[in-house]
Formats: sequence, structure tokens, C-alpha cells
Amino acid sequence: MNRRHSAQIGRYLLVFALVVVAVAALYPLLFTVVSSLKTQTGFARDPLGLPAGITFENYVEAFKRMNMPRLLLNSIITTVGGLVLSVLAAMLIAYTVTKLRFRGGKLVFLFIIITLTIPSQAIIYPLYQTVLDLGMSGEYQGLILAYAAFGLPLGTYQLAGYFQQVPDELIEAARVDGAGHFTILFRLLAPIATPALAALAIFNFVWMWNDLLLPLVIMGGSDSKTLMVGVSLLSGQYDVSVPLVSAGLIVALLPVLIIYLVFQRQLVSGALAGSGR
Amino acid sequence: MSISTASAADSAVATNPPPPVRRNRRPLHAREWWLGALLVLPGMALAVTFKLVPLIRGVITSFESSSGFGDSSFAGWDNFTRMFDDPVVLASFRNALLVVATLPVWIVLPLVLSVLIHQRAPGWKFFRAVYFVPYTIAPIVVGIMFRQILSPDGPINALLRAVGLEPLAIEWLNGQNSALFSLVAVALWSFFGLGVMTYLAGLATIPEEVLEAAYLDGAGFWRRLFSVVVPMLRPTVAYWSVLCASGVLIWLFPLIYALTQGGPGNATMLPEYLVFLTTFQFLDRGYGSAIGIALFVFVAVLSIFSVRHMFKEGTRKPR
Repeated sequence: MNRRHSAQIGRYLLVFALVVVAVAALYPLLFTVVSSLKTQTGFARDPLGLPAGITFENYVEAFKRMNMPRLLLNSIITTVGGLVLSVLAAMLIAYTVTKLRFRGGKLVFLFIIITLTIPSQAIIYPLYQTVLDLGMSGEYQGLILAYAAFGLPLGTYQLAGYFQQVPDELIEAARVDGAGHFTILFRLLAPIATPALAALAIFNFVWMWNDLLLPLVIMGGSDSKTLMVGVSLLSGQYDVSVPLVSAGLIVALLPVLIIYLVFQRQLVSGALAGSGR
Repeated sequence: MSISTASAADSAVATNPPPPVRRNRRPLHAREWWLGALLVLPGMALAVTFKLVPLIRGVITSFESSSGFGDSSFAGWDNFTRMFDDPVVLASFRNALLVVATLPVWIVLPLVLSVLIHQRAPGWKFFRAVYFVPYTIAPIVVGIMFRQILSPDGPINALLRAVGLEPLAIEWLNGQNSALFSLVAVALWSFFGLGVMTYLAGLATIPEEVLEAAYLDGAGFWRRLFSVVVPMLRPTVAYWSVLCASGVLIWLFPLIYALTQGGPGNATMLPEYLVFLTTFQFLDRGYGSAIGIALFVFVAVLSIFSVRHMFKEGTRKPR
């Protein structure tokens, strides 16, 4: 009886601790949502409480001021482009390194992994210079290719780990049945690696959509600037009211949040599967 | 070029024909080699163009002196020796070390949370989902959000006053000591969910019976955590630790950009922000590149362990 009691108390404490952290995790988001629904004067009168009356005026204004549709389009193009390209390139390398008799494969793998140690923050000027020399400054392809290059090491590593677990006999059998390399890669290996691909896609999406430094430097103030560059301009403008900024922030974070909530299960199973090694 | 010269010299000297076994397998190998080369080409081209070439150019630029948009001239080691006398650079690397010193929190906090969730607490799926939410929010958005929350009259200070901790209600982003602390705390808020997810993935590989047995043997929560979970979770803890070690220094750019811009004074100046500032604001490309190279070395030293680990894992043959 006593033991059951203390177990019960422990359980309450456990849930209490989890709830405290959950509130801490969600409160800033909640504060921003609530602020975005207040009028300018309503916020000034009571910055912390619930809004007296709900207004969507700030969202309309943020959409107009920030040229939101164009920013969203730019972010979608560069993120999807970078995502597809980096995953494809990673798949090809992972396949070659693990499943082909390719001398120098280890060296290629090592080189790709080592580039992980080169953060964009450390080489940002020469990177900008290179993009400029390629005539891609302010252009979608400049950011897409840079994203692909920076997403490559982790993608190659994850997929190589996955492909490696597929028995060579299975591939031999497919080859005997007349399957070509691309059939093997896309029809045999890709489905097996689906959890890893899904996790990779979500992680890369979150990273590329949310990144600031690369688009800031590569796109600058051009019409192709991404949503996050647009948001970063808000941080310098002190004339913009908190409710208006909050509305802009909510619009900026909503796409990833929705994608996360929709694909949550895949993300978890991908993370789980990836750690099985 | 050197390769072709060497092989020409070799064939001139070589008199015996290659062993027959090799000769038989050669056509297949050659064809697969060319195919492989073709397949790794896109990725190699990307990595070389956008990482290796910029790194080399960065090294070259770091030996040049330039200002504004003008031409540059060779400066030797000037940029590097200048760094050792530059209080801003020294402050930024000292701050970097302070940030690295908070690593235990980055490693332990998500671990404790993930173990708590992993015991199948009521609503654990909900908590797991909630804890990851901050990570999905863009750091620049997080930064602006927290500028509002940490403002002198913001919710944090209001809460502190409400519970009678008035003296703690300070200017979080504007104090010489509190600013860096606030910055790291916001970064931790932003990234702990990724750690929880990573640990949960590792925890899933521990057989449930093991934990159950420890529980039935009367081991308390902390005992189970440090005597059973951590030892079995070592690879995951190691992975997350090296990720944080190399990450904490390069995750902060958007947060500094939105929260403090490096201030007050140089209290939140970190190398990654200083590289950007020196290059694009002060237009000192050579010096900016030199600081960038110093940052690269700093990060490379920290991440060499993860690279070693990844290479071993990736090239390990399962059977």
C-alpha cells in the first residue's frame, strides 16, 4: 500500500515536471499569437492579458507590408529545390559507396563527411564571392545549390548507413532479374530507406526554411529574398508595433509547424529507425 | 597530370604482363568504376564548389588586406596577428568558451526529459510532440519573439514581480552579464526538443525488459538513469554531445541578430556574428575571412570526433 502510494506521488510529480516544461515550450508561441490578435492600443493598455476584442487587422497589414505571397513563394522554391537536390545527390553517393565496386568510394565518403566541419558562418564571404562569380547572386539557383551542398554530408551519412544494411544478395538477385542501377536505387533501396528519407526530408525542410544567414548573404535585398530575410527586416524596424510583428512571426512559423504536425509520425519513426544502428 | 605521367613511366618499365585473374575481372570493374564516378559527380561538384573552394578562397583572402569595395593587397600574417590584439575578437572567443562551458546543461536536460517521457508517462505522445515544437520555429522568429518576451515590461519580468522576485526582474538583454545568459537560454529553448527526439530514438533501442528489471529490483529514477540508461545510451549521448559541441557556436547567428546584435558592448559577440559583421558591415573582407578561418579551426577541432565516428559507421560492413 505504502509503496503504491509513493509510486502514485512519483507519477504526479513526473507529470507535473513534464507539464511545466510543456508550458515553457509553448508559452512564447501563445504570447505571440495573443499579441497578434490585439489592436495597437489594446496591446499598449494590457500587453500581457488576453485581448479585449480579437482583430485580424495585423495579419492583413503584415501580408501587405512584407509582400508575403512573394516571400512565401521564394521560400518554397529554394527550400524544395535544395531539399530534392541534396537528397538525390546524397542517394547517388550513398549507393555508389555502399553497393558498387567503386575504388576510392571510401575516400569520396570521407571527403563528403569532412565537409561537415566547414560551417557556412566561417566561410560566408568567400561563399558569397563564389556565388557571385557564378552569376547566381540574388538568384534562386545560387541558394538552392548552396543548400544542397550544405545538406549533403548528413544525408549521405544517413542513407549510407541504411543502404549498408541491405544484404548484397538482394541486390545481386535484382540484378540477375535484369534490374538496372536506377531501378535498384529507386525501386529497391529507396522504399527500404523510406523512414530515413522521410526524417531527412523533414529535418532538411526545417533547416532550409528556417535558415537566415545563407539567404541573407546570397539573396540580399533582391526580390528573391526568402521569408526569413523578410522577417529579419522586422527586427530592425522599431516603428513596427508588437502586434504587427507578432502577426508576421506567426505567418512565418506556420508552414513548418503544419508540416511538422502532419508528418510527426514519420519524423519519429525515421529518427527511431536511424538510431537502430 | 602527375598521375598520367607516372602511369606512362610505369608501363615503360613494366615488362611482365599483369596476373590473369586481375585481367579477367578488369572490364567489369572499369565499367562499374565509371558508373560510380558518374554517380558521385553531382555531389562532389556541389561539395567542391560550395565548400572546398570557398574554404580555400577564405584562406587566401585571410592573407589579404582590403577595405571597403577597393582592391586588396597581400598582407601576410597581419590579419592573424591583429586578432590577438583586438579586444572584440578576444571577447568573442572568450564568449564562445563560456557558451561551450554550458554544454553539460545541453546534454543532461534533454536526457532527463526524454527518460521521463520514455517511462510511458500519461500523455507521453503529447509531450513528445510539444517539446519538438520550438525546434520547428525559425531561430530568427524565436529571436524576435523572445525580444518581446524578455523586454523590461515583458511577461518574464511580470511573472517574477508577481511571485515576489522583484529583484530578479532585470533587463535580460541589456545587462553585461545577463545578456549572454539570456542568449544561451533562448538557444537552449530553441534546440532542446531536437535533443529529446535524438535521445528518444536511442532509448527505443534499449530492450524494455532491462528497464523493467531495474525497476522491479527497486532502483529509483536517478539510479536507473545513471546506472542503466546512460551506459546503454552511450552512442546516442556521444552523438548528441558532439553535435552540441560543434553546434552551439554556429546555431546562434540568427538569435544574436535578432536579440542583441552582439551587445551590450561585446557581451554577446560571438565569432560567427563577428565574421558577418566585419565582412558585410565594416567591409573588411580580409580580416573577416581571417576570423572565419579561426572559427573554422575552432569548430573543426570540436567536430573531428563526430566525423571520425560517422566515417567508421558509414564504412562498416555489417557482416
